[in-house]
Amino acid sequence: MFKNYIKIAFRSLKKRIFFTFLNTFGLAIGIAGAILISLYIYDEFSYDTMFKDADRIHRINGDIKFGGEARKFAVTPAPMADALRSDFSEVEMVTRFRTWGSALVRKADTEANIKEESTTYVDDSFFQMFGIDLLVGDKATALQEPNTLILTKSAAEKHFGSLKNVLGESVLLNNTETYTVVGVIEDLPLNSFLREHTVFMAMAGYADSKIVNWGSNNYQTFIKLIPGVDVADIQVGLQAFLGKYVIPGIQQFMPGVTEEQLRAAGNHLFYDTVALTDIHLSSNLVAEITHNNDIQSIYILSFIAIFLIVLAAVNFMNLSTAHSLKRAKEVGVRKTLGSNKSELVQQFLIESGLISFLSLVSALIIAIIALPFFNELADKNISMPYTSPVFWVILLGATLVLALFSGSYPAFFMSRFIPVKVLKGGGQNSVGGGTIRNSLVIFQFAVSVLLIISTLVVYQQLEYIQDKDLGFSKDQVLIVNDVYAAGTKAETFKKQVKDLGFVKNATLSSFFPTPSNRSDSTFSPKEGGEQQEDAISMQIWGVDYDYVATMDFEILEGRNFDTQFGNDSTNIIVNETAVKNMGLSIKEALGKQYTPDMGADNPLYYTIIGVVKDFHFSSLKDNIEALSLTLNSSANSMAIKLNAGNFSNAIAAIENIWSEMAPGQPFDYYFMEDSFNRTYEAEKRLGNIFIIFTMLSILIACLGLFGLAAFNAEKRTKEIGVRKVLGASVGQITYTLIKDFLKLVGIAILISLPVGWYAMSKWLEDFTYRIEINGWVFVFAALLAVIIAVLTVSYQSIKAAIVNPVKSLRTE
Amino acid sequence: MLLKLNNIFKWVQSGGQRVFLLKDINLSIEEGEFISIMGPSGSGKSTLLNVIGMLDDFDEGEYNFLDESVHNLKEKHRANLYKQYIGFVFQAYHLLDELTVKENLEMPLLYSKKSSSERKSLVADMLDRFNIVGKKDLFPSQLSGGQQQLVGIARALISSPKLILADEPTGNLNSKQGEEIMELFKQLNDEGVTIIQVTHSKKNAAYGSRVINLLDGRRI
Ligand SMILES: Nc1ncnc2c1ncn2[C@@H]1O[C@H](COP(=O)(O)OP(=O)(O)OP(=O)(O)O)[C@@H](O)[C@H]1O
Ligand SMILES: [Mg+2]
Repeated sequence: MFKNYIKIAFRSLKKRIFFTFLNTFGLAIGIAGAILISLYIYDEFSYDTMFKDADRIHRINGDIKFGGEARKFAVTPAPMADALRSDFSEVEMVTRFRTWGSALVRKADTEANIKEESTTYVDDSFFQMFGIDLLVGDKATALQEPNTLILTKSAAEKHFGSLKNVLGESVLLNNTETYTVVGVIEDLPLNSFLREHTVFMAMAGYADSKIVNWGSNNYQTFIKLIPGVDVADIQVGLQAFLGKYVIPGIQQFMPGVTEEQLRAAGNHLFYDTVALTDIHLSSNLVAEITHNNDIQSIYILSFIAIFLIVLAAVNFMNLSTAHSLKRAKEVGVRKTLGSNKSELVQQFLIESGLISFLSLVSALIIAIIALPFFNELADKNISMPYTSPVFWVILLGATLVLALFSGSYPAFFMSRFIPVKVLKGGGQNSVGGGTIRNSLVIFQFAVSVLLIISTLVVYQQLEYIQDKDLGFSKDQVLIVNDVYAAGTKAETFKKQVKDLGFVKNATLSSFFPTPSNRSDSTFSPKEGGEQQEDAISMQIWGVDYDYVATMDFEILEGRNFDTQFGNDSTNIIVNETAVKNMGLSIKEALGKQYTPDMGADNPLYYTIIGVVKDFHFSSLKDNIEALSLTLNSSANSMAIKLNAGNFSNAIAAIENIWSEMAPGQPFDYYFMEDSFNRTYEAEKRLGNIFIIFTMLSILIACLGLFGLAAFNAEKRTKEIGVRKVLGASVGQITYTLIKDFLKLVGIAILISLPVGWYAMSKWLEDFTYRIEINGWVFVFAALLAVIIAVLTVSYQSIKAAIVNPVKSLRTE
Repeated sequence: MLLKLNNIFKWVQSGGQRVFLLKDINLSIEEGEFISIMGPSGSGKSTLLNVIGMLDDFDEGEYNFLDESVHNLKEKHRANLYKQYIGFVFQAYHLLDELTVKENLEMPLLYSKKSSSERKSLVADMLDRFNIVGKKDLFPSQLSGGQQQLVGIARALISSPKLILADEPTGNLNSKQGEEIMELFKQLNDEGVTIIQVTHSKKNAAYGSRVINLLDGRRI
């Protein structure tokens, strides 16, 4: 019997090749999309799970408000590690990272530096903590001595060619510090928080790590719990750290200050933990080691994946039930020949199973072809897990469920046909099910319109960010990194660059208005300095005389730093937010004095000489914070404002000067605009993914509509023939046929508009600076849906309308 | 006694009124009879045939088929009953287009769960008997109307029913083809199969042993 079913199923699918194609293609696209998204989500959840005992590793976070705004840090003070070790018997070991950004690295006996982007100091417990093995070197002793470091395999090969002669070699970091290589580890997995790090220096040689200072937060501190311990115990215990360690530290500067007083002034400090494996998707604090993702994007993608599958399944149901009109006779005959309901259900389920299976195979092919593009789009390195049995089991299981889900409605629907009715040829009325079919079309279009709205809003917001007046000019600004490598010649470098014809201005600084990790200092005013409440939290950026001009900042009040005024070294320029936080007006602020080291014997007071208009130096997701500019001659980078023109010539000319000033030092540069754009990469990626999957879901909806239109036209062949004989024009008939579908699309639009408005308002809430959702978004989405629907339905309708009525009537 | 209808009524509600399709039909049929149902169009012939074939319900009355009370049976039981004892022949043949002649013949056997070897021999017998061995791998669309109806009858006969119900079996055929089908029915009837046919033609009715006339859902 079963064999017979399969044979008949094959034949009937072959006979209705158009229907089979629409169904298979729609399902295949849906499944392929879902496969890709699932792989992406699986990859996202796999972050940091590869480390040994990952489930027992946690990081300590700090939530601190001390003057200024509350901020949440992924870093804690250096002595946190010792305190954890001594206070908690549940803690098996502690490892700290002190990230050190990029470094110029060279072998001791060579001249040319190669830049390593991410370096960090790390405790020697690193290997045991994360279960990391050394490819060469001795794990038992590695990183115990000061000025030793380990490299990843690819970094070692870059500097030494092979792993053979690495051990014991000396390397110079930033031309000054000599380190001995004591080991090489495998490159860290792309789905780990350490993926960008290539150089690990021994914490033993970093003096700051031994100083007991509870006031500065610079250390990513990880703990491994002994098995069976509940991390909640640690979280409770951590609450005592404020009174036990932090307050005594503050009292050194502010004698007699109590915890109660600090709290009364609205300050707080909590330490908390986050599980290692949760960091990638749920932690987005100040000073994360690497950029993490947002669980929200996972939710959005999951929704899209589910939508795709459901849309495709809906298509299947719709096409199948529509098609059942043609199969009504078959059902009737089979029933009179003795088939009972369950046998018919089986037969139809086998057909849908067959279609699902065909779709699965097509989907795999589509997914394999699309994977490289998807990886590009999502900035991933995902591969098909061909060898994973789980993958296949899930895939086949899901296909089976899909077949049952989408096949059961048509199967039960058709098996209920009553033979006397359908054999008499009652057409539409003899089978029913029109309401459900219509609801499904409405559902499909509602989802499509929703996705169109989402895409439009995401893109508008991205555009808004791109074009927003940031309060400075980011265009045509080239930033040359690591100018400190030129040593004292950095100033000369700047002068010579400024003399180039196509250079408008140049400035030396370590701070630029693009998002990065920076820390605040607490500034206290000279007058009323003892009042805790008057202190404000503010960043200090060391700049030079050309900074304000190069960045195109607007001075609202006062003046810029100027050599004519003699010594500006104890003067500062602050931004509007700083003035606001001080509780002053812009005019009042001028001449006021503030110090960042209150409590010192002889605090250095800075005088405010100017106020700049607020500019955005963080992500537009955040508020602008208080900021001050001060003169400082040591700088990491140089920003060069270019005239419009041929940038590659300009860059070549600047590189020439650089290699004269700093022979052998890498010339490393970027455009400020690119760095700015990178900040919104996650949003842009989301935007792209939205667009692609929106198009896919619309495509699926169109396939369904196309099929329905075809069957609708076919079903009404006789009616159309009669109408034509009675004098209806092609236009009138086409209109009659399209009208019914447009009604459905109209209802879909009415449903999706409020839902879309609500969902996108929620998404936008994430941005401090955001667009208002515009009415035309809805108009456009609605129009688009209508146009797509009309185009899809017209072909079939016009085709049906122009058929010679004599022909269509004869077939009856 | 093969079947017996007692005071069968069938109606539909239309505008709050009962419209009777069958009115007080009493009928008893012995095994081996060959009966023709006649009457003007719309008189209820097909309706009556469908009731006898258990494809359609009735609203009042009693129907006994081989000592089973059809009006008391659950649908499943009824289906088993007609699967076993009744074969249908339609005016429009109703062969399944995507199946070959052979497969069309085989289908009722599949539904009655016959073994594969049994099915093979029964199909072969039937092809032989109707002289259509050469056509066994053709699809219905490749046959003439008469040939299609031949297959339809063969299909109705293959599970050896006691009763054949035929609704205008020759309605779509020319007179020569029609005669052949009638000869075939006669022959089957001689072999002991009970036949009830609906027909408009006196000539066809003459093949039968008894004629039942209907008018407005009532026997006359
Ligand atoms: N489901 C129904 N609802 C209402 N009336 C029906 C229904 N089915 C049949 N009828 C009516 O019942 C009457 C008998 O129909 P039936 O098909 O039995 O006629 P018939 O004698 O077979 O006619 P013909 O010779 O044209 O085939 C007709 O008047 C028809 O309109
Ligand atoms: Mg009839």
